[in-house]
Amino acid sequence: MLLAYLPILIWILLCAGLALAIVFLSHVLGRKRPTGAKLSPYECGITPVGDARSRFPIKFYIIAVVFLVFDIEAAFLYPWAVIYKKLALVGLLEMAVFMAVLLVGYLYLWKKRVFDWED
Amino acid sequence: MELPVLSLVTFIPLVGAIVVLLMSSENEKAVKATSTVFSGISFVFSVVLMVAYNRAIPDFQFVERASWIPQINVWYYVGVDGISITMVFLTALLSFMSVIGSFGIKDRVKQYFALFLLLQTAMTGVFVALDFFLFYVFWEAMLVPMYFLIGIWGGPRREYAAIKFFLYTLLGSVAILLAILAMYFSTTPHTFDIVELGKTHPFAPGLQMILFLALFLGFAIKVPVFPFHTWLPDAHVEAPTAISVILAGVLLKMGTYGIFRISYPILPDAARDFAPFLAVLAVINIVYGALVAMGQKDLKKLVAYSSVSHMGYVLLGLAAMTPTAMNGAMLQMFAHGIITGSLFLLVGVIYDRAHHRDIDGFGGLAVQLPIYTGIMSLACFASLGLPGLAGFIAEFMTFVGAFPVFKTIVMISAVGIVITAGYFLWTLQRMFLGKPQEKYAGFPDLSARELVTLVPLQVLTVFIGVYPWLIIDFMNSSMESLSHFLRGV
Amino acid sequence: MNEYALGQGLWEMGFAAAVPFTLVALSAMAVLLADLWLLPSQKRALPWAALAGVLLSAASVAFLWNEEATGFGGAIRLDRFSAFFAMVFLLGTGLVVLLSSAYARREGVERGEYYALLLFGTSGAMLMASAVELVTFFLGLEILSVSLYVLSGFFRQRPASAEAAAKYFILGAFASAFLLYGIALFYGASGSTTYAALRESFGSAAFPYSHGLLALAASGLLLIGLAFKLGAVPFHMWVPDTYEGAPTTITAYMSVVSKAAAAAAFIRVFGASLSSLQQDTSAVLWVLAVVTMTLGNVVAIAQTNIKRMLAYSSIAHAGYLLVALTAAGEAGYSSVLFYVLAYVFMTLGAFGVVSLVRKGEGGADAGAEALDISHYSGLAGRHGLLAAAMAVFMVSLSGIPPTAGFFAKFYVFSAAVRAGEVGLAIIGVLNSLVSVYFYMRIVFLMYMKEETVPVRGSRSRAGWVALAACVLGTLLLGVLPSSFARLATESIASIF
Repeated sequence: MLLAYLPILIWILLCAGLALAIVFLSHVLGRKRPTGAKLSPYECGITPVGDARSRFPIKFYIIAVVFLVFDIEAAFLYPWAVIYKKLALVGLLEMAVFMAVLLVGYLYLWKKRVFDWED
Repeated sequence: MELPVLSLVTFIPLVGAIVVLLMSSENEKAVKATSTVFSGISFVFSVVLMVAYNRAIPDFQFVERASWIPQINVWYYVGVDGISITMVFLTALLSFMSVIGSFGIKDRVKQYFALFLLLQTAMTGVFVALDFFLFYVFWEAMLVPMYFLIGIWGGPRREYAAIKFFLYTLLGSVAILLAILAMYFSTTPHTFDIVELGKTHPFAPGLQMILFLALFLGFAIKVPVFPFHTWLPDAHVEAPTAISVILAGVLLKMGTYGIFRISYPILPDAARDFAPFLAVLAVINIVYGALVAMGQKDLKKLVAYSSVSHMGYVLLGLAAMTPTAMNGAMLQMFAHGIITGSLFLLVGVIYDRAHHRDIDGFGGLAVQLPIYTGIMSLACFASLGLPGLAGFIAEFMTFVGAFPVFKTIVMISAVGIVITAGYFLWTLQRMFLGKPQEKYAGFPDLSARELVTLVPLQVLTVFIGVYPWLIIDFMNSSMESLSHFLRGV
Repeated sequence: MNEYALGQGLWEMGFAAAVPFTLVALSAMAVLLADLWLLPSQKRALPWAALAGVLLSAASVAFLWNEEATGFGGAIRLDRFSAFFAMVFLLGTGLVVLLSSAYARREGVERGEYYALLLFGTSGAMLMASAVELVTFFLGLEILSVSLYVLSGFFRQRPASAEAAAKYFILGAFASAFLLYGIALFYGASGSTTYAALRESFGSAAFPYSHGLLALAASGLLLIGLAFKLGAVPFHMWVPDTYEGAPTTITAYMSVVSKAAAAAAFIRVFGASLSSLQQDTSAVLWVLAVVTMTLGNVVAIAQTNIKRMLAYSSIAHAGYLLVALTAAGEAGYSSVLFYVLAYVFMTLGAFGVVSLVRKGEGGADAGAEALDISHYSGLAGRHGLLAAAMAVFMVSLSGIPPTAGFFAKFYVFSAAVRAGEVGLAIIGVLNSLVSVYFYMRIVFLMYMKEETVPVRGSRSRAGWVALAACVLGTLLLGVLPSSFARLATESIASIF
């Protein structure tokens, strides 16, 4: 049975081999004339300034997390809507429970003033 | 409905402990009075027990039985026979005396008496329990109050003594616990019933050996049998007077009681095989204990080592297995309880006055404290086995009973008597004879309270010495039937 | 469909099985929301609200005591077993809430989230005990764990608390991964994740050999995940640091509820469903039990911080639980249940005392927690009742009668002997002998030493009520264990 996958294995090996070979060849054959600009992390953009690990307001983190939660809610609603008829009353109730739980979270966030961007 | 006398004897002190705990710690007099009353009631019931006990039959009497933990077949099962009744009485008597003897306690009085009464319940419980589980619970429950009583109210090295006592005894208890579990699971149906096991003794000889050794470890530490005795001098010396009385008078007896009650009836084959070893250990206890006692400068340590020596006689009687020897051993347990109990009380009396226990530091006390000297001499003579006093009868019976079985060992043991006489007489000489010392001139003689604790014990000592049947009558039928059973007669 | 029929329908679908933990979760949300509208001076009401939720759920458990129901497509089950554990968790939570009412205010963490997370954690634990399906079980575990990750770091300003949370979280996530992998393998081997299917697939020796290997690997992975939650050696590395750094009341909660939940899940999975694999797992459990007991007890001796000492003691007690789990069978498992109940009283009590003892006047940090063992010197002289309560718990933890700890250990070791594990029982008994040393050292310090650092006891009335309940429970279970043992036996019988 595993024999059926043999072509795929060969294909993977070929791809990997080709990629490695190109990098290797360019390393061996290519001419190297390093300059300061070429050695900088981003050769094609603005000159980097300062540390990449700078602090920025925690609000961004919170927004990201909150987005995740409500995005999942939306994603969950789609398939539910599609088979809504089949689920009938129980399905409605279950989704109501789900929404209610998220509503509690929403209220919590609201009162904690997560949505007030300006303090 | 019959009065549950045994439960009353056992649990009245516990009720007392709870009452004392609820009292105000300010009112020390009321605490002492309440403790005396509760311990006294327990003592009165133990006297009722003695009077109502039918001495002619070896069976268990005053039996109470109620289901406690039915899942694992554990019963609240108590009763007394000839092995335990004298011990119950001894416990109640010495506890009562010790409560009175503890009136001098000044520190944390309420806790002291509450713990003491708790201890009394646990001790009595050990002697009346006929269910292994119950027995073990009481056996262990004794540890904690004892630990506190030595550790809080003891002498300068009390912490060390308390933890040493605790760990030693606990090690022994663990061995007992394992033996109990092993017995429980090797019987069908599983049972903790000591009486039942004593009737059927259903274990194979090989298993008996293992069980006997495990139980013996636990009991030997309590007795204490050489070489497990090292906790005893520490605990005795550091413990407050009343607790030394209880330690020597009651706790040591639990080891030999355990052998009588559990090891012998349930494991007869192993008992027969081990008897010679027991006899050898007994003679070591007798002679070694006496020799070490002779070397002591501290009066309390001397009495402590004399206990090691005297418990050896009990072991010897046990090992011999003849009715006379076993009666002697049982009587020795009782006699040693009252004699050594009064010796420790007497040590406490002199320590309260002189604040030291150095034998050589005394001298000529006979002039200053005549009553004290009289009672001390009586107790020492009783302890060294003077005819006409309780100790003599017990030792004599033990030797007579053991001689046909272990001739050499008995002859060596007799040396112990000589040494014992030696160190007690020497002690009396150093303490009471010679020139009276100035610094002891103002000492008051025994107070009324001290006399109340001491005189009953002396009266009993003399009375048993003259009329030993008073006590032997209680144990004789049980001892005879146990002896016949063991020797297959 | 009329309303009655709907209710009837839901009931028939087994919604009853979800009622107890749903009530707890709802009260958690209520507490969380209520907190938003409370003024700072009204925050005192929070613990009482949480307690009300606990009582409400306990009432529902009592009401459903004799019911049996399976709900949500065979994912959760209500039986005596889950009811017993629900009661244990609720008891533990209720006592922790009482202890917290003063502690949290004192330490400046009296916030709705604190109590809400406690309740959420409890609902997770209850879900773990009533789950009869691996994914649901995992869900419960994660609800409990995530709550605990946050709670153990609740002292946000203190490095020790942050360290506690970080260590617990990282190692906990790792353990969860093991668990999930195990669940996946089980799914691969049996094609289902319900316990019933596991029992069917592996109940007879007839399953294909390769599936047997898969099941073994899966059991191993699942065992690692549960051993982590139990705090068994060698998966115990987080325990001392987390227990030391977390708020004391949370430590108490963790040591009781989280351990009990792991034991419950263990019994459901390995005891009731995978008993055919017992021969293979028992050898592993044997080793785990021995090293856990021994390491816990031996290392506890060397501790100078009381929370760390209790942490190692809780590792040791996990070892005793493992002894009972090794013994297996109805006797072994019912001894686990009894042990867990006894453990709630004695351990919560011990941690409760720790949470009430504070440094006294004088010194810069007066009022801070007195966590060094030496702070307990002479406690009896100053706070007789507190010292007496601690002494009861220490005596019980060392397993001396007539306390709950004695009978619990007796039950466990006799189950081991009954199962033929005599060696294990002997090692366990010797271990509890070792443990006496460090438990009695506390008693020794309290009663036989002079005070070195002035300490004082909190006067929190709620805290005292909780302690009194723990003392009573410890003594009651020791003197009259019979009816509780019967409860444990019946609970186990309900899942076999």
